[in-house]
Amino acid sequence: MLHRHRRTLFIISFLAAPVALYLIYVISPYLQAFYIATTNWRGVSATPEFIGLDNFRRMLGDDTFWKAVTHNAALLVLLPVVTIAIALFFAFLLNVGGAKGTAGIFGSKVYRVVFFFPHVLAYTVVAVLFQQVFRPDGSGMLNAPLMALGLGPIGFLSDPGVAFWSVLGVMVWQAVGFYVVLFSAGLASIPRDMFEAAQIDGAGRISLFFRITIPLLWDTVQVAWVYLGILALDVFAIVWVMTDQHGGPDYSTTVMAAEIYRNAFQYSLFGYASALGVVMFFFTVGFAILSLRLSRRERIEY
Amino acid sequence: MPDTPRLSRRELLRAASLVPVAGALAACATPAAKPAATGSAAPVATSAANPFGVGGKPLEVWIFDGGFGNAYATDIHQPLFKGKYPKVEIKHNFTKEITKVLQPRFANGSPPDVIDNSGANAMDFGALVQDGQMQDLTPLLDAPSWDDPATKVRDLLDPSVIEIGTYDGKFNVLGYVNYIFGIWYSQKVFRDNGWVVPKTWDEFIKLSEDIKKSGKMAPFTYAGKFPQYLYESLLTMAAKIGGNEVLVNIDNLEDGAWTTDAMKQSAERWAEVGAKFVMEGTSGLDHVQTQTAQNKYKVAMLPSGSWLENEQKDTTPADFEYGVFPIPDVTGSDKLPYGMVHAQPGETFFVPSKAANVPGGIEYLRAMLSKKAAGDFSELVRTVSVVKGAGDGRPLSPGAKSATEAVAAAGANVVYWRWERWYAQLKDEGIAATGELMTGRLAPDKYLERMQKKADDLKKDTAIKKYKR
Amino acid sequence: MSDNPMLSRSAARRERRLRLGPLSVLSHTAVLVWTVLVAVPILWTFLASVKSEDEIFGDAWSLPAKLRWDNFGRAWEQAHIGQYMLNSVIVVTFSVFGTMLIGSMAAYVLARYPFRGNRPVYFLFVSGLAFPVYLALTPLFFVVQNMGNVPLIGPLIGLNTHAGLVLVYIAYSLPFTIFFLSAFFRTLPTAVAEAAMVDGASHTRVFFQIMLPMARPGIVSITIFNVLGQWNQYQLPLVLLQDRDKWVLTQGIADISTAAGYDQDWSALFAALTLAILPMLVVYTVFQRQIQSGLTAGALK
Repeated sequence: MLHRHRRTLFIISFLAAPVALYLIYVISPYLQAFYIATTNWRGVSATPEFIGLDNFRRMLGDDTFWKAVTHNAALLVLLPVVTIAIALFFAFLLNVGGAKGTAGIFGSKVYRVVFFFPHVLAYTVVAVLFQQVFRPDGSGMLNAPLMALGLGPIGFLSDPGVAFWSVLGVMVWQAVGFYVVLFSAGLASIPRDMFEAAQIDGAGRISLFFRITIPLLWDTVQVAWVYLGILALDVFAIVWVMTDQHGGPDYSTTVMAAEIYRNAFQYSLFGYASALGVVMFFFTVGFAILSLRLSRRERIEY
Repeated sequence: MPDTPRLSRRELLRAASLVPVAGALAACATPAAKPAATGSAAPVATSAANPFGVGGKPLEVWIFDGGFGNAYATDIHQPLFKGKYPKVEIKHNFTKEITKVLQPRFANGSPPDVIDNSGANAMDFGALVQDGQMQDLTPLLDAPSWDDPATKVRDLLDPSVIEIGTYDGKFNVLGYVNYIFGIWYSQKVFRDNGWVVPKTWDEFIKLSEDIKKSGKMAPFTYAGKFPQYLYESLLTMAAKIGGNEVLVNIDNLEDGAWTTDAMKQSAERWAEVGAKFVMEGTSGLDHVQTQTAQNKYKVAMLPSGSWLENEQKDTTPADFEYGVFPIPDVTGSDKLPYGMVHAQPGETFFVPSKAANVPGGIEYLRAMLSKKAAGDFSELVRTVSVVKGAGDGRPLSPGAKSATEAVAAAGANVVYWRWERWYAQLKDEGIAATGELMTGRLAPDKYLERMQKKADDLKKDTAIKKYKR
Repeated sequence: MSDNPMLSRSAARRERRLRLGPLSVLSHTAVLVWTVLVAVPILWTFLASVKSEDEIFGDAWSLPAKLRWDNFGRAWEQAHIGQYMLNSVIVVTFSVFGTMLIGSMAAYVLARYPFRGNRPVYFLFVSGLAFPVYLALTPLFFVVQNMGNVPLIGPLIGLNTHAGLVLVYIAYSLPFTIFFLSAFFRTLPTAVAEAAMVDGASHTRVFFQIMLPMARPGIVSITIFNVLGQWNQYQLPLVLLQDRDKWVLTQGIADISTAAGYDQDWSALFAALTLAILPMLVVYTVFQRQIQSGLTAGALK
């Protein structure tokens, strides 16, 4: 009995602090947010008025928000695809793609370090940095050479047809290095002889990549997919700080989080903003559950 | 990854059973309605010298740290106030992000005492009024002025200052600076090149073509990242063509207010400027970058307000000589004569009704409206304050002089609008759509239809309080 | 001689190398191009940080006529980058330590001790991974504010306090930390712990002296994730810290970028960016081996 008692006491003492902190700082604000979503609270009054589902009805007519949703959806597809493709390619080159066939190309250690640089920078820093890189005239890092070649200037952030791609580009730029490292670790855990054997069987690098590397890394690719998917749904700082008019021009780069922030902190429509947050919440949870379901796939044992 | 977690329905339901526990916690975390902090001490007796009864409570001041900086408050206003009330401790603060910093203070019922609610990130006045967060400043208007007990504060101000500061019949907001809008240029550049300020739109087009042909600089630019600088000119021109009611109807969200003929004529003309005369790269540049380009003689003209000269003081060449000209005659049958300008009080101060030291806050505003404070202010930040005659006899910089002359020449033909402050959503739509108009992606009629649709949507939106002028 | 297996193997290799020739060139080019893409914007920022205002607005690739180190002086003095960085270091040090301590405690119990309610608690934590933080921002402000009214410790953990922010960071890092660490604890062998229990060690001792050291690779990697995540945090401090002297680095950088629009001190902006970037790159390069192995250990195990 004493033993059991000690065990219970131990469980309680270890869980008390984390559960308390979590309930106070995470769960309770979210529950309040769900409540605020059903009010017309404008942020300054102490007495919000209950208005039921009006905020959700209003959302149906909010073209800007749906535009934001389509941008998140596009990012949800493009960010993982592009990032994973580039990262897999480089991970392969840096680990098994060398001339010897089973080792990385020359200098791969240095590359791996440099590739990772963007990942250690804060989003706000990256956003401010690229605002300058993308300047629309000869003082911009990218436009100066383009103009010298007589091609430009390109409105990386000022042309609504281009701005979204600039946002995607920056996100990929920042993400790739991390996934190169992740996939490298995955590759390192694949036994060397598998590559050796394949090579002796006459497999070229291209078939090494598609027939061995990708199938064996499938698990890691799925992890990457979930991370990047959540990143695509959650993106805020890059859009808010970097783009013109916070998600512009003409809402061409806006995302759900930016619309929540805009409605809450610029229009003081806190009730409505919370309703948008609730919708975003269900999108994210939906994505998480869906990807966990889909990822239950046979593992390759080796 | 080891066993990927599988959320079974049963487990989810069990997780949900915990929610009531958290709910109980949440209950004690919702915004608490706090009793107002007033009445804690016995009210201080009022007198002619101390009309609002300032006691010994500290005074918390928040200044928007924008084009005028915040030194004017610490160097001019606060010493003056402190000179009269040495016991009052002044807590001076400044920020560029008024909303982010102060909005939560309102929600919590403990706002500061004086706020300069300005800049791109200012709080929405509409929401503040809707919630009764603004102190009625009518007593300030009826109080004796700081300098002369025989003159009321009301008599120091232009009636438009009072009208624009009035929400729902109460004077809530004090605009401190008289912003004068127009097209800004370098008097030196115009003189050196023999270019003349255009009086008609045809002359404006001709001048732009000449400048373009000269190859010396681009004719025109605007803050491409902030197209509100451009719709300012567009609306002013529409008022010139169709008269003040064009703007009144827009403010009142009247049906078809955006699609009137005057608006159409104006939008077409500015779209033409956008297509032909705008400096390369404009759409991606902000106000400072375009203004700096003008200081570097890369572009001749841009639309802005009278804060411009002070904002650019560090990059302006000594002999640049800022000048401003009004919107030229457009049709020959314009409703308003040449010289009409758009002028609007800016740097908007208010006193929160739930502030701890409301009398101190109002008194601070009264001090700001003294001759000395307003005069020193306009000299320091090279602009025109709303206090009549405060700048008299003081040295004026070229830009401030030009702006003063423009507003004097306009006489009664001064226009303004209020929809931007009333309806933030409509403003954002205007910003987005005007950018599209100027870069040629939106035709003038489509542009106006789009604005009209947004205005109509807003009119139907019961969640947003409507105003009339 | 020719049927010496060693030789034929090396011949095969040589042959393969020839076959792969053009591909090698291509792969080297690809890697080099990406290196340039990554490094050049950063180096360009460093370059701009010693330029004058005029040079920044001039041709992007021109070299500065004179190295203007005073830009850094302004970024440091007027923009308080030093202060903000120190604040970030203080907050992140305490919050990461706290996160790892109570996160690993919770993860351990949830992973190794079956009890009624174990799964609901676990899922309550893990579901937090999918919550968009923007939804909670405003109510969170009030929660923290009300914490300020708690008797005795209130003033230490209310709004505008670093301790308050530390608690919030810990709470918001728990879902991720618990999700990965409990997975990690589940993979550890149980024999050692059981033996220690038989010898009479308490549950607490087993955790701190046996399980925690065994979980080191996982702990290291999650620590790194949390350091990066909390160092980069912008939304939470934006709402919870309003006093300028309490600000963290991300707030300072965003502010200086807004400020550049009014004060036109673009060279100080670049200097501040450099000050924010350089230490991170140096720290990363020094510890890159540990960071890379740590990161991947956690994500893959």
